[in-house]
Amino acid sequence: MKHIETEILVIGGGATGTGVAWDAALRGFKTVLVEKRDLTHGTTGRYHGLLHSGGRYVVKDPQSARECIAENRILRRTHTHCLEETGGFFVVTPEDEGDFPDRFVAACAETGVPCNEITVAEALRREPLLNPRVSRVFEVPDGAADSFLATHATAQAARIAGAELFLYHEVVGLLVEGGEGECRVAGARVRDVANGEDVEIHAAMTISATGAWAGQLAKMAGIEVEIIPGKGTMVAMNHRLVNTVLNRCKMPADGDILVPIHTVSVIGTTDVRVTDPEHLRIEPWEVQFMLDEGDKLVPGLSKARVVRAWAGVRPLYQEGYTGASREATRQFTLLDHRERDGVAGLLTITGGKWTTFRLMAEKTVDKAVGHLGELKGCITANTPVPGVEQGFYWLGHRLHEVEAARLQGQLVCECELVTRSMLENAARNNPTVTLDDLRRDVRLGMGPCQGGFCTYRAVGILHEIGDQRSEIGAVDWNVAFLQSPAYNQDDEAGNRHLPLTIDNSPLAISSPNLLLRDFLQERWKGVTPILWGRQLKQERLDELIYLSLMNADHLPDDGGSSPLSEFYNFDTTPNENMDIPE
Amino acid sequence: MFTESWLSVGPSLDDCIKCNICSSYCPVAAVTDLFPGPKYVGPQAQRFRENGQPHSPDHSVDYCSGCRVCNEVCPTGVKIAELNARARAQIVADQGISLRNRLLGRNELLGKVGSIAPSLANFGLHNPVSRVLADKVMGIAKEAPLPHWSRNGTFGSWIKRTGDQRLRSDRKVVYYHGCATMYYEPFIGKAAVAVLEHNGFEVIVPPQNCCGLPMLSNGEFKAARNYHEGNIQKLTGYAREGLAIVGTSTSCTLTLKEEAPELLDMHSEEANTLKMAVWDIFEWLRELYQAGELRSDFHRIDMVLPYHAPCQYRAHRVGKPAMEILMLIPGIDLRESHARCCGIAGTYGYKVEKYQIGMDVGEELFGFVREQGDAVEMTACDSETCRWQLEHGTGLPSRHPIEILAAAYGLYDLEARALVGS
Amino acid sequence: MIDLLVIGEGLSGLMAAYHAARAGLSVRVIGKGLGALHWDAGTIDLLGYLPGAHDSLRCPMKQLGLLDPAHPYHLLGEATLAAALAQFVALTAELGLPYSPAVVAGENSLLSSPLGAARPVFLAPAAQQGGDLGSSAPMVVVGFKGLRDFYPALIAENLNKLGYPARAAFLPYQLLSGRRDANTVHLAHELDAPARRAKLAAALKKLLEPGERIGLPAILGIDDHPAALVHLEQIVQAPIFEIPTLPPSVPGIRLVKSLRQHLLQLGVRVEAGMEAIGFETNGGNNIQWVETETSARPLKHRAKSYLLATGGILGGGFDSDHTGRVWEVVFDLPLTIPQQRSHWFRPQFLEATGQPVFRGGVPVNRRFQPVRPSGEPVYANLWAAGGTLAGADPIRERSLTGIAVATGFAAAQQIATSHALT
Repeated sequence: MKHIETEILVIGGGATGTGVAWDAALRGFKTVLVEKRDLTHGTTGRYHGLLHSGGRYVVKDPQSARECIAENRILRRTHTHCLEETGGFFVVTPEDEGDFPDRFVAACAETGVPCNEITVAEALRREPLLNPRVSRVFEVPDGAADSFLATHATAQAARIAGAELFLYHEVVGLLVEGGEGECRVAGARVRDVANGEDVEIHAAMTISATGAWAGQLAKMAGIEVEIIPGKGTMVAMNHRLVNTVLNRCKMPADGDILVPIHTVSVIGTTDVRVTDPEHLRIEPWEVQFMLDEGDKLVPGLSKARVVRAWAGVRPLYQEGYTGASREATRQFTLLDHRERDGVAGLLTITGGKWTTFRLMAEKTVDKAVGHLGELKGCITANTPVPGVEQGFYWLGHRLHEVEAARLQGQLVCECELVTRSMLENAARNNPTVTLDDLRRDVRLGMGPCQGGFCTYRAVGILHEIGDQRSEIGAVDWNVAFLQSPAYNQDDEAGNRHLPLTIDNSPLAISSPNLLLRDFLQERWKGVTPILWGRQLKQERLDELIYLSLMNADHLPDDGGSSPLSEFYNFDTTPNENMDIPE
Repeated sequence: MFTESWLSVGPSLDDCIKCNICSSYCPVAAVTDLFPGPKYVGPQAQRFRENGQPHSPDHSVDYCSGCRVCNEVCPTGVKIAELNARARAQIVADQGISLRNRLLGRNELLGKVGSIAPSLANFGLHNPVSRVLADKVMGIAKEAPLPHWSRNGTFGSWIKRTGDQRLRSDRKVVYYHGCATMYYEPFIGKAAVAVLEHNGFEVIVPPQNCCGLPMLSNGEFKAARNYHEGNIQKLTGYAREGLAIVGTSTSCTLTLKEEAPELLDMHSEEANTLKMAVWDIFEWLRELYQAGELRSDFHRIDMVLPYHAPCQYRAHRVGKPAMEILMLIPGIDLRESHARCCGIAGTYGYKVEKYQIGMDVGEELFGFVREQGDAVEMTACDSETCRWQLEHGTGLPSRHPIEILAAAYGLYDLEARALVGS
Repeated sequence: MIDLLVIGEGLSGLMAAYHAARAGLSVRVIGKGLGALHWDAGTIDLLGYLPGAHDSLRCPMKQLGLLDPAHPYHLLGEATLAAALAQFVALTAELGLPYSPAVVAGENSLLSSPLGAARPVFLAPAAQQGGDLGSSAPMVVVGFKGLRDFYPALIAENLNKLGYPARAAFLPYQLLSGRRDANTVHLAHELDAPARRAKLAAALKKLLEPGERIGLPAILGIDDHPAALVHLEQIVQAPIFEIPTLPPSVPGIRLVKSLRQHLLQLGVRVEAGMEAIGFETNGGNNIQWVETETSARPLKHRAKSYLLATGGILGGGFDSDHTGRVWEVVFDLPLTIPQQRSHWFRPQFLEATGQPVFRGGVPVNRRFQPVRPSGEPVYANLWAAGGTLAGADPIRERSLTGIAVATGFAAAQQIATSHALT
């Protein structure tokens, strides 16, 4: 069995975990991060993409609001290209009566969240689909965030600073030393889920950034950590109905926010306490409720095409709390298990929100520093991750780049403008176990046809490049340009101008049929909750392609399942439950 | 960009199931890489466009000719051509319009100015030196089939002059002539009046102005709106009286019916009343025929006649009514073209960067005409610019079906393009 | 007034129009847009799999008894089904685009899919027959570097795993086209040019090993396809076959083109871009006219009989919403689809039993007339064919084109009979 020695072991490859690894490595710690699946497999990859201004929490949770606006300003510097400056409106619809708007304005002033009331006419000029019956509109510096790209960029920054990241490495046990009173976590035993090999990682400090899975992890050290897993369901509309984040000006509730992110707009969310953070059902009432609420922000929204639904779990934590997850605090919590449980060497960071991931990392590493001795302070707030030179994201950039470089003939995913080179570079530089990994990297299959055309193409392309991998030298790949068709294009002679490298896990190209089946099923899982009308027609075309034309259900079986097959197979088809729970 | 009109068309991008049928039938994408195809620039690119972007992300949508083959073949009803028209308008709004496009959009003004001294104007426009200049300076292709101003006066002056000879009847119909008939081809209007009167209708030719289509297709929406408002004022009264307003220009009637109200968000009661009263002249004659009221006292015309229905019929979605009527005329061996587009597409083929694309697109039609053999002496098509392109591409004269019908009634000389006895 | 208005221009509508016209009826076809032939493999798939079964059927004609009693094949009966297929074979031979059965009559042949899986096919166009997996001749599957819709290495690997000897080879994309952005239809047009084919053939000959047959993406010409195939085989001196590609489907487009041309010769007009939006009855159960959407007022289409061939959910014959309602869009006919989303799906995309929402449709009687639950025809002069019919999941069981060919034939027969009686 392989052994690795490190100072800090971070468990979890979401926003928080990569943030911790980045911060720790920048401060000079020898750092290792392990993630059981791909980066952002957990909650980070399953949220609506809001960069909070803090406006949402000014009344209910002022401390969170203060953190949000401070981090909002920092991330604009450190993760510029992962953000879009959409701005946000808090609108008062006829359903939102009472004195909340005035309390909102006062609380914004109190917490330092910039808030500017604009006329309804001006709001409608900027967002013509906004409900014309709104009575007041407040503008705040909300934004949209690409949490996949941001996590990749943070991870790359961590690598550059010296951290080592192991993806598809699942913790199977913590290395617990000593006993009652003298107990200490000395690292973890992790399993490479692609090839089944175990690795022992010895660390002076182990940091659990496992989000909703933090309870399960803590249990490995015999510690009780009761996470309040608040499931949030989100529904993506096929195109941008708005280009500004729309919030209802009221106490945060279900279905009261519409976020324009990349090519879609996401209406979210519900908040339902669940038990299993991995397998999340999307109930028909949730979808219905979201559409009904969406109509209040954008009349007619429920008639527009819905492209997909998904759910993520907020890893909320409130010591001793037993109520509804909606009411639980959004603040983050750092648990020092030596102080709390008498178990040294282990910290748990949980709660919070994407917008505050950097701050959470800073506080976590500060605490670790306290345990490990004096080293230099946190510099992440002033350290841009790779790619900020691209400036803020803007919706048209892919279209612009494809047109300027005339890459139309190269498009593999036509809906989301993914070129063959983007796909190949992403596949060669990341461990690709499923096409879903590439989806998060380059947005493969995220458009209207939901993989109808690109699944086949992507499998064919990965299969073709499979035998070329061994010839490629190991050089840094510029992860910052994951999303850029122009940056990834070939030169005149058809060569990549990018140096290529190989990550430390195997590409699954030896099982093309499994790749295909997994991704078809992964897409199916996310569409069944919202399948009617135009998306149902689309799905029938996708069926025609994969059944009638491809005969994909009668391919030779080249390996039964991937580490994610079970996850994709989880049934989310609509049941008969339309009742909104009390 | 997100105006009310967006609401009538924008959501149709949601109908796209990415099947690429439109791209396979698009006549422009078939001949050039400069146009990535209707699905690409339409419902697909639209998801990447938004209000107030730092700069327009794409310009290849400008290579859409607006022929609407995509709309016709689309199995899910995406309004692709309209999406593209709006995207073009956005580019114009961002960047301003070129002098060339401004000029090509001013059909009525050009018509008026040229008609003051048509011979001089024709010489001024059509001599080789000015064509080269227009090509180099303004980007109007020197080979493109530009029209000639009528040397026998405008259609308006004819109507005025012959006012007392017009038929009076209880059965009335309003005629919308459009700019081309007014200034370049008054004989089309004369043939239309003759056919309508022959069928017992009194023809009213009220004051009217340009339908605004040239401006719409060049993305100048503001100017087009003024024109359409003018026509609403001048024509809606007749519509209220229950009179049909028939036109010989398939593009003008389409604009009055649908293009202007849809693209410009003009959905007032007046605009709608006008829309519902406007007919393509053959669409209206077909109704007459189906009601058994179309006169059938045709003279035999022995000829092989290739007929090309213009793209605008596709947009009217009324089939090919002119062909159905022409088929009634004894002697005519009508050969229906299935070519997708003649390539001129309004003013598209005039533009220096698109002239060759237009000719390549048109080759399907020109080849079809050639295949009909040496006996062919002329072709027929309802749209003026298409006829000019057809003549340019085949070297054969081309006639409006109304001229053929007038000739079949013995009212019109197809060769001289004049009413018999005039 | 015409005898028959066919609504829908997919395979079932075109086949019904053909048979009705052959029986002497005057027929017109209207359609909103083009149909599923543009997406599928271009083969006639009679029945590949029984619901829930994994193994493909060898002799589908003998297995019909195992189908749902409401299945369209049951309503047809074996004799009518056989007659429809025989007529289709004869028709395509006449069109110069011959389809023929497997080597062993009455059996499915297995042909490679674009993934290298074995598709059970009943009738295949000439160009695909050479790929019969029943033959032991080794295959070289040839692709073109960079062509995004064809992956020969993947095909060959899967064929090998299934026990069929195959290898992959690549040729430069530039052999097909000088364009940067061309879809399969554009490429097929390029191969209509003999010079381009000759170059391709020379390159193929070089990579061929003795005894091999050559599999190529289905792009071997469109307008000149039969000649293209012969031309290539003559030069290469080896059997060549096509493997279908992602949509758009070149083989499907060839069939549509030929059928439409033939219909025109029979006097049947096919009007695309006409969406049926309403209808009128005589107050009882007789349809008087069907209305289509136009640029202004709806256009009325009057006929003695009407055939609904608008397809199912994919074809646009049915629509649905988030409340779980599914409806037939033209006549709002009764449907057998569950009106509850919780009954529509199963957890697996590739579930062998299929998704329940796709199995239902318009129930008809043995005369192919849509019926109420009581069994009474909904309208006395309305028939239905193709993907609209209840009782089958044509995509799941691989009967999409088979049902279209057979029910188009049967419905036309029934309509012709009813006209003969009145």
